[in-house]
Amino acid sequence: MSNTDQATLAATQSHRPPFYRDVTVVKWLAQVFTLLLVVFALFFLTTQALENLDRQGIEIKYDFLGIGLGSDLREGIDTDPDTAGRALWAGAVNTIRIAAGGIVAATILGVLIGVGRLSSNWIVSRMCSVFVETMRNIPLLVQIVFIWALVATLPDVELDQGPINGILHLSNKGVSVPRVHIDDGFYQWLVFIGIGWLVGSLVKRRQERRHDATGHDTYPVLSFLAVLAVFGAVGWVAHPIFGWVGAIFDFIGDGFSSLTPVVVQVVLSLAALAAAAWWIRRFLARHRTPAGLMKLTDDDKFRIIFAGVGALAVIGFVLVVWPGLSSWIINSGTDLLGVIADKFGDGRTGRPIDIKRPDVEQLGNFPNPGPGGLNLTQGGAAVFFGVVLYTASFIAEIVRGGILAVPKGQTEAAQAVGLRRVTMLRRVILPQAFRVILPPLGNQYLNLTKNTSLAIAVGYSDFVQVGQIVYNQTGKTLEVISLWMLFYLACSLTISVVVNFFNIRMKIVER
Amino acid sequence: MTAPTGDPAATGAGPVEPLDGEREPAQKPEEPSLSAGEWLGRNLFSSPVNSLLTVVFSLLVLLAVRGLLNFTFSEERTWRAVKTNMRFLFTHAYPQDQYARIWVCVGAIAVLSGLSAGLLARVGRGISMKKLSMNLMATGGVIALGIVLREPSAIVDDEGVALHRDASEAVGDSFAGWLDANAFTVLAVLVLANAALALWFHLQGTYLRGGPEPRVAHGVLVLAGVGVLIVQQYATGEVVRESFADAMSDRAWWWLAAAVLAGAGAALWSGLGDARRRNTFVPAMYVFFAGAGVMVLSAWVYPWGHYGFLEGEFINEPGRTVAMTTKLPWTVMLALLVATYELGRVLRAAGAGPRLRIPLNLLWVLTPFVLYWAVLRDPDLDWDHVLSTDLPMALFFAAFGGLVVWFLAHPRVGEAGRVMAVVLVAVAALNWVAAYFGWYPMLQKARISFLLLAVVAMLAHNFAGDRSQRMKLVAVWVATMAVFHWLVTLVNSPSTVDTPTDALIGGFGITLIVAVFTLLLAFPMGVLLALARTSKLPIFRVLSTVYIEVFRGVPLITVLFFFTLIFNLFLPDNMTLVDIAGATIGFALFSAAYLAENVRGGLQAVRRGQYEASDAVGFTTVQRTLFIVLPQALRVSIPPLVGQVIATFKETSLLAIVGIFDFLRIADKVISAQSEFLGVKREGLLFVSFVYWIFAYNMSKHSQRLEKRLGVGER
Repeated sequence: MSNTDQATLAATQSHRPPFYRDVTVVKWLAQVFTLLLVVFALFFLTTQALENLDRQGIEIKYDFLGIGLGSDLREGIDTDPDTAGRALWAGAVNTIRIAAGGIVAATILGVLIGVGRLSSNWIVSRMCSVFVETMRNIPLLVQIVFIWALVATLPDVELDQGPINGILHLSNKGVSVPRVHIDDGFYQWLVFIGIGWLVGSLVKRRQERRHDATGHDTYPVLSFLAVLAVFGAVGWVAHPIFGWVGAIFDFIGDGFSSLTPVVVQVVLSLAALAAAAWWIRRFLARHRTPAGLMKLTDDDKFRIIFAGVGALAVIGFVLVVWPGLSSWIINSGTDLLGVIADKFGDGRTGRPIDIKRPDVEQLGNFPNPGPGGLNLTQGGAAVFFGVVLYTASFIAEIVRGGILAVPKGQTEAAQAVGLRRVTMLRRVILPQAFRVILPPLGNQYLNLTKNTSLAIAVGYSDFVQVGQIVYNQTGKTLEVISLWMLFYLACSLTISVVVNFFNIRMKIVER
Repeated sequence: MTAPTGDPAATGAGPVEPLDGEREPAQKPEEPSLSAGEWLGRNLFSSPVNSLLTVVFSLLVLLAVRGLLNFTFSEERTWRAVKTNMRFLFTHAYPQDQYARIWVCVGAIAVLSGLSAGLLARVGRGISMKKLSMNLMATGGVIALGIVLREPSAIVDDEGVALHRDASEAVGDSFAGWLDANAFTVLAVLVLANAALALWFHLQGTYLRGGPEPRVAHGVLVLAGVGVLIVQQYATGEVVRESFADAMSDRAWWWLAAAVLAGAGAALWSGLGDARRRNTFVPAMYVFFAGAGVMVLSAWVYPWGHYGFLEGEFINEPGRTVAMTTKLPWTVMLALLVATYELGRVLRAAGAGPRLRIPLNLLWVLTPFVLYWAVLRDPDLDWDHVLSTDLPMALFFAAFGGLVVWFLAHPRVGEAGRVMAVVLVAVAALNWVAAYFGWYPMLQKARISFLLLAVVAMLAHNFAGDRSQRMKLVAVWVATMAVFHWLVTLVNSPSTVDTPTDALIGGFGITLIVAVFTLLLAFPMGVLLALARTSKLPIFRVLSTVYIEVFRGVPLITVLFFFTLIFNLFLPDNMTLVDIAGATIGFALFSAAYLAENVRGGLQAVRRGQYEASDAVGFTTVQRTLFIVLPQALRVSIPPLVGQVIATFKETSLLAIVGIFDFLRIADKVISAQSEFLGVKREGLLFVSFVYWIFAYNMSKHSQRLEKRLGVGER
C-alpha cells in the first residue's frame, strides 16, 4: 500500500463527520424524535379526552360491568342477564359460537367448491366458479342484510313445522336443527377415551415396528382407531366406574387454594425472568459462530434490551400495578378445579353424548321454537350463512390455488411409482398443497371471526351488538369500545397462534 | 347451431393486427373446434360418474335459475320502489335543481376514462369474432331458456294486486297439477333412471368407445327434467295465472331481445365461414361501447317507464320511456366517452402517449378533490378574504419555497444548505409548539405550508441536478402550493348547495367518494408503514408492527364506531369531526394496515443486489428507496393492491351501520320506510348487490389480467 493511500485512510478514519451527519446519531435522533412525536400525540389526545370527559362529569371506570342491564338478549347462554358483564359474556359466547361453527362450515364448503372448480365436468366447474365470483364480489354486509330479508319471507312458526318436522325447521323465526350435546357422564367417558388413546398409541407403535421389520401390511392407523373404538364402546356403558377421578381434582384444588399470594407473585416473577433469560441465551447462542460471537447490530441489542425490559415490566405489573392478580389467580384456579372435580365426580350415570331434536312450543297465542334443538334466530341465521358463504368463496380460491401450485411432475411421479389415486392424493398432493393453503386459510379464519361483528346490522346478540346495548344504557362508550378491541385482539391472537403452530409443524415435515 | 368441424388452417396465418406494435406474449395455437356432440361427450358425459354429476348439477342449476327468475319477476316484487328511488339510491338528498353538478362530475370522469383508455391502456388482441359470436348466441339462448323457465305471471287487477281463487277451487286434477304435487318424486325418478343408464353404458363399454349414445340418452332425460320444471308451474294454484300462450306472448320483448342477440351471433358466425375471419379480433373497448350503446338506445326506445318523485309528487307512468333528465345525460356521457377514447387513440398514434402519461395520472389524483370541493360543493368564496389573505399567502409560499428549493437543489450547496434546512425544520416545529402553548396566532394552512417546506428542504438534496431539473422541482413546488392553497380555501368556504342531511351527498355517491378518499389517504400511509416495518431501525419497526397488527386484529366496525361516536372527545374544544370525515379516517387507518402488508410483500421481493448496487453507486437512503426499491416493490404488489382496492370498495357498505345514508342504507332502511313502499326491502337489496357486483367483478377481472401481464409469480 502506498503512502498516499495510507494517508487517505488515516484521514478518513480520524476525520469523523460532524455529529449531525453521523449516521448513527441521525438514525437514533430520527427514531427518538418519532417516538416522542407519537407519545406526545397519544398524550395530547388522552389529556383532551380526560379533560372533555371531566367537563361532562364522566369518569372512565369499568364498574358498569357489575350493574344490572335493563333489557333482554335475543339468544345465547343467558337471555336475561343480571349484569352488563354477564350480558357481554353471553355476547362473547355467541360470537365464538358463530365463528367456530362458521369456520367449520366455511372450510367444508370452501374445500368442496375449490375442488369442484378443478373438476373436469364442465357444469360442475362452471357452477363452482359462478358461486365464487358472485359471493366474493358482493359486500358481506349486503349479503347478510339480504339473507335476513329472505328469512323474513319464510313461513310462520307452526306446531307441525317443516320442511322436515323434528329434524330441520325453517321459519321466519330462524333455523333449528338437532342439538348434539354433552350429557351426564361425558367426562368419565373421556377418561376411557384417554386410556384408549394411550393403549392405541402403543399398539400403533408396535404395528409400525413390525411393519418396518417384516414389510407386511400391519395397518397401524387402523389398529389405533380400532382400539380407540373398543374403549369408546366399552366406556359408553361402563363409564360410571371412573367416578373416583373427581376426587383427584378435589385434592389438587385443595392444594392450590392453600397457596399464599406471595408465593404466586414470586413464581410469576421468576417465570418472567427465566423466560427472558432463556430467550436471551437462545438469541446469543444463535449468533455464536465458531470464531466467537458475531457483531451485534443495533437491532440485536435492541431486542435483547427489549426482552429484559419486558420481563421487568411483567414483574412490575404483578407486584405493583395489579397486586390482586395473584389472589385472583388462586381464587379462579380453585374455582376451576372445583368445577372440573364436580364434572368428573361420582354419581353421574347418564349417557355421555345425547341428541335433542328441535321442537315447537306454544306458551301464549303464537307458537315459538322450543328449547330442544339448536336454534339460530333470524339474525343469527343471516350472519351465519352470510359469513359462511362469503368466506367459503375465498377459501375455495385458496384451495384451488394450493392444488394448482403442486407441480405437475409430482402427480406424474406418483403415477409412475404406481400409487393409487387415493394414495397419491393423500400422500403426495394434499400434503404439499396444504403447505401453500394453510397461511392464507388462517387469514380467512381471522377475517371470518372479525366479520361476525357485522351481526350488529341484523340484531344478532354478538359481542358488538351487546356492547352497543350496554353503552346505550350506561353511556360508557369508550370503555365498551376498549373491551371490543381487546376481545377481538385476543381472538385474533388465539387463531394466529393455532395457525402458526400448524404452520411450523408443516415446515418441519419439509426439511 | 351450425357447428364447424375444425379449422386447422386458421391459427397464426390470419392477419392478426398488432395494435400499435404492442404484442401480447405468444399464445398457444388455437385448438381446433369440436363439434357440439364431441364437446358434450368430452366435457359432460365422459364417464358414468361424470354423466350423473352433469345430470344432478344441471337440474340444480335449473332450479336455482328458475328460483332467481321467479323471485325477480314475481308479482310480489315492487320494482317500482327501486325505479322511483333511483335518484335517492345514487345521490340521496342532493338537490334536484343542482343536478347539473352531478352530471359535470360524471362527465369529467367519462372524459378522463376515455382519454386514459385511449392513450395509456394496453390494448390486447381483444375479443375474437368467434368468441364474440358464440357469446352472443349463448346469451340469446340463456334468455330464451329463462323465458320458458319462468312461471306464468299472475293476472292482476287495476291496482296491480294479483287475483286469487278460492282455496277450494285451487286443487287441480290436470296433468300439470299432478306433476306439481309430485315434482320432486318425478325428478328423483329421472335421476335414478340416469344412474341406471350410466351403469348400463358403463357395463357395455360405451363410454370408452366414445359413442354418441350416452349423450343422447342422458340429454333426453335432462330435457325431460327441464320439461317437468316448466310444466309444473302451470298447475292451478291459489293465484290466478296466465296460460302458456298468454305468458309467451306477454314476453314478446324478451323474445325479441333473445332473437336479436342470437341472430346477431349467428349472423356473425355464418358470415365468418372463412376461418381466417373467425380469428380476427375486435378491441374489447368497442364491444363495451356497443353494449353501452344498446343500453342507452333502449332508454330512448323501450318503455322502461317513467318513475320518480318531484317535490313530493310521485311520478308513475309505466308506458313511457325513461325521463329526458336521465336518458339525455347518459347519451351525452357515452358520446363523451367514445369521443375522448378516439381522441386518445389519435393522440397515441401521434406519439403523445409517453408525454401525456404523467399529466393524465396527476389529473386523476386531482379529480376527486376538485369534483368534490369545487363542483359538488359549489363553495361560496369570500372574495375579500381571498384577495387580502389567501392569495398573498399562497404567492408568498410559492415564491419563497421556490427560491428555497432552487437553492437547496443545487448539487454543490454543501453545509450551508444543510444549515438552512435545519433552520426551516426548526421554524416549522416552532409553529406547532407555539400552537400548543398559544404563543402567537397563525393560520393552520400556514403552519402546514411551513411543514411541507421543511420536509421538502430536508429532501431537496436527493433530487439535486442541473438547471432544468431544478426548474422542474420549482415548478412542482409552485403547483403543489397553488393546488393546496386553492383547496384549503375551498374547504374553508361554506357550501351553497343546500341539503337536508349533514352529508352533502348520499347513496352510491358517498360510497364512491369515501372509497376514493380512503384510498388516497391510505396509500401513502401504507407505503410508509411498510417501509418502517421492513426497516432496520428498531423503533420504527416496532411502532409500525404494533400499528399494523392492532388494526388487523380488530374488526373494521369497531374502528368506525370509535371514529364516529367518540373521536370528538379526543379533539380540542374548538374542533369537531363530522361523521363522514371520521368514518373516512377510520377506513383509511384500517386500510393502511392492510395496504402496508401488501406493499411489504413487494418490498421483500426486491433482491438484495438492488440495495447493494444502489449503495455502491452512492445513493442516499432516500434516493435508494424512491428510485430503486419502491418502483420495483410497487410493481410486484399491484395485484394485491387492486385486491385491497376492491375490499375497501366493498367495506364502504359498513357506512350504513354507523348511520350514514350510503347506498346500502338507502335500500335497506330508507326505501322500506317510505309510506308508498312500506317494507319493500328485497328489491332494493338485490339491486344494490348487483351494482356492487358489477364494479367489484370488473375490477377483479382487470387485476387478474394485470397479474398475468406483469407475470407475477413467474419470474
